[in-house]
Amino acid sequence: MLTRLTGGEVVDPVNGATGIRDIWIRDGVIVDPREGEAADQTHDVSGCIIMAGAIDIHSHIGGGNVNTARLLLPEHHKAHLPRPAATPLSNAGWSTFQTGCLYAQMGFTTVVEPAMAPYTALHTHLELADIPIIDRATLAILGNDDFTLSLLRDGKSEAMIDDYVAWVVGSTRALGVKVINAGAAAAFKENVRAFSFDDEVPEYGLSSRKIVKSMQHSVTRLGIPHPLHVHANNLGLAGSADTADVTIAATEGVPMHLAHLQFYGYGTQGKRAFSSEAARLAESVNSNPNVTIDVGQVMFGQTVTISSDVMRQFSAIDKASPKKSVIIDGDGNGGGGIVPYSYKRNYYGTLQWAVGLELFLLIANPWQVFFTTDHPNGAPFTAYPEIFELLMSSEARDARAVELNVAALEMTTLASIRREYSLEEIAIMTRASPAKLLGLKDRGHLGAGAIADIAVYRRGKDIAKMFREAALVFKNGQLVVKNGKVSAYRWGKTLRLNPPPDRAMVKRMKAYHEDRYGLPLEWFTFPDSAIDRDEPFMEVPWNS
Amino acid sequence: MSVAWIGSQPVPLADAVRTAAKLLASSRCPVFSLDADVHGTRSAIALAAVLGAAYDHRSGDAVAREVALFTDHGGMFTTPGEVRRRSSLIVLVGDIAPAHAELFKGWGGSSPDLGDKAPRRWFQVSASDRPTRRGKAVVKAVPLKGEGLSLNATLAVLRAELQDRMVAAPLQNVERLKKAMASAQFPVFVFSGGSLDQAGLVMLQDLIVDFNSRHRLSSLFLPDDDDAWGTVLTSLWMTGFPPRTGFINSLPSYDPVRWDVQRMIREREADVHVWMSARGGEDPPKRGSAAVIALDKTERPARGAAVTIAVGEAGLDHDGVRYSSRVGTFTAVRAAEPSPLPSVSAVLRQLAEAMPGKGTLIC
Repeated sequence: MLTRLTGGEVVDPVNGATGIRDIWIRDGVIVDPREGEAADQTHDVSGCIIMAGAIDIHSHIGGGNVNTARLLLPEHHKAHLPRPAATPLSNAGWSTFQTGCLYAQMGFTTVVEPAMAPYTALHTHLELADIPIIDRATLAILGNDDFTLSLLRDGKSEAMIDDYVAWVVGSTRALGVKVINAGAAAAFKENVRAFSFDDEVPEYGLSSRKIVKSMQHSVTRLGIPHPLHVHANNLGLAGSADTADVTIAATEGVPMHLAHLQFYGYGTQGKRAFSSEAARLAESVNSNPNVTIDVGQVMFGQTVTISSDVMRQFSAIDKASPKKSVIIDGDGNGGGGIVPYSYKRNYYGTLQWAVGLELFLLIANPWQVFFTTDHPNGAPFTAYPEIFELLMSSEARDARAVELNVAALEMTTLASIRREYSLEEIAIMTRASPAKLLGLKDRGHLGAGAIADIAVYRRGKDIAKMFREAALVFKNGQLVVKNGKVSAYRWGKTLRLNPPPDRAMVKRMKAYHEDRYGLPLEWFTFPDSAIDRDEPFMEVPWNS
Repeated sequence: MSVAWIGSQPVPLADAVRTAAKLLASSRCPVFSLDADVHGTRSAIALAAVLGAAYDHRSGDAVAREVALFTDHGGMFTTPGEVRRRSSLIVLVGDIAPAHAELFKGWGGSSPDLGDKAPRRWFQVSASDRPTRRGKAVVKAVPLKGEGLSLNATLAVLRAELQDRMVAAPLQNVERLKKAMASAQFPVFVFSGGSLDQAGLVMLQDLIVDFNSRHRLSSLFLPDDDDAWGTVLTSLWMTGFPPRTGFINSLPSYDPVRWDVQRMIREREADVHVWMSARGGEDPPKRGSAAVIALDKTERPARGAAVTIAVGEAGLDHDGVRYSSRVGTFTAVRAAEPSPLPSVSAVLRQLAEAMPGKGTLIC
């Protein structure tokens, strides 16, 4: 069937200037129609904006820690309002089903869960497979497990490290690799309570720097499209900007992605010794084109922090609101902490909110900065429409600022920044650039050959409303959202890399698991059939 | 061999499915007692959503106690793999379910290769008036108990002792434990929902949090029933809530009292009861007036059931995914003795398709 969207203003920076033109869909793919060909179905989208489906590169949507948060907080689903209309399971608070629906309604068609512990990969994929409509992907966590640390301590070859990284990525069906406070989880088990970039993991004598650099180079050598995804040390601490700075400096021109930089945007100035260093960090990013970041914007209200940075999460349990939390010393790269938290409009909350916006607005190149709240850590993803408005309207920022803590705002440059994101910049930040960063050549744009993941927004003065309720959303060419409501359900794919495993590494893994865990390797891996869906995965090619 | 019965009469599977679907379609208040692998649970919850039913695990009370530790309190936990590799000091709390004997045996036969790497030592906290029953045969543990003290009281005294506070009731071997804890880098208390009541579970977690202010200490939660915990986790991602959840106008609502399925049956709120026993060896509860649809690993009709459909067990009759305490997460299981018995998931899909106007399940 040939479908035509006509009359809409196409915002597709990858394929040319913004303007009114038709978009054609055949068999789930965007096409150039043959001359004189008539559409079987036409949607008049006059007055609307047409963009590619949005891609979220960092949102905690599934897996062991997310599920534990559900268990810890059955009363907190109100954090995920507004909810969609009554359909089977659709109003379930924070369920996999609701996650897919809410994302689709905002025009998002691909979402990356950025923290999969390799030993709980099956659990993560079972959850991801139950998220309807959208495609998903996940990043495998490395950098705290005994096998990696032993390889590095023992000075094993780069080839062996690469074989191991490739085996983890392949066996866990990941799209990339992430390190989370590299070395800190291992150190915490030996009662280390603070861990910076040059601190060493006891027993291994390895610094976080050494682990991060080794993983960064391995990912690059292997040709994994997404650069190493780094959750740096000292998240959330006053002075963490210095940590972010040294981490950026350590990239030395090699690609690296720094996650939720807002949580590292803090200095130690002022009477509360908690200030904004966003301007300095933005400059650091601006002068390192090999570095990309996502923001992790904070918005106000109740949420829950979920992180595999167990050392950091343990340090936060006294601030849990309500007063309950879960801390898990997991296997190797697993575990973490679930600590509920409420961002208030006080000095600290206001400063965090402003630091995020400063980063968005002071990082010049929209191809380097990515749109996230680190869902749900900074705010639930349902807050995205309000954040789009804050980025696109300095007036909206000013209006919000008057409700907030004056002393905190005075510690920032926010009031002086008048930049407003254009629709093209929004399209780059949320579509074209994420696709490029993840190596997803088939999406993020509206050129012929791209999969027909398309979001149509009704243009209006209310920017938040426009992005909250897409007029139409197509996923693989199927109309799935009409007027902000899900109109059809489908099951997407989980995007993965599939490197062939090195035989010697597989043999080594078998011996390692039998020796160290007393169990065959099969207890820790799984066949695709365990997901119980038709073709649950879709392979993404490696860089050559 | 018959695989389906209406009452005590063997019937073709399609007839049993049709009759069960009719019962469900006409039900005013259907309830589910779950006992299946992940995919069976997914299908059951999806069907419950369609029907506006409530669901619970077959071992509802034990599961509710374990769930309440998390919903009401939280805690600090580790995994069986970390215990094996890192813990030179293991403290068993109460009686641990015998199903975990193999795990203990594996730890007993190995030494930690991470952390302090010291030879493994075992202690066991128990009530004074109750000899240790479960887990005893596998490992030899130093007893920690005090005269006249219940298990909860023993834990409370131990918590005070570990904070160097004065105690009125001394514990046998507590000095040995304190010495061991001073030298162990990553000691772990092992417990299950069946080994402690709610107050005890909370006391244990507070003991652990106290100790972590200066040293490391964690706990290993071993569910009383692995499959039941798998059901909890599956329910959480599907609905956002643990079991004892009901659907009202398609909206899930979690209420451990209102949706206690055994209570609903006992108090005659429920009129149709879908009762599962994919592992077999159990009978549906006698009380109540609800018509029972039994999905049972059985060769005979389930006692008192209006409809019985024989089902297979994941990992035995068919492939599946189950929670395993050996690894602390889900694991794919292959059919050890493949049989033609359908999976719970397959039967529930057929049931959904046979329901008038209901169609296929969403998963």
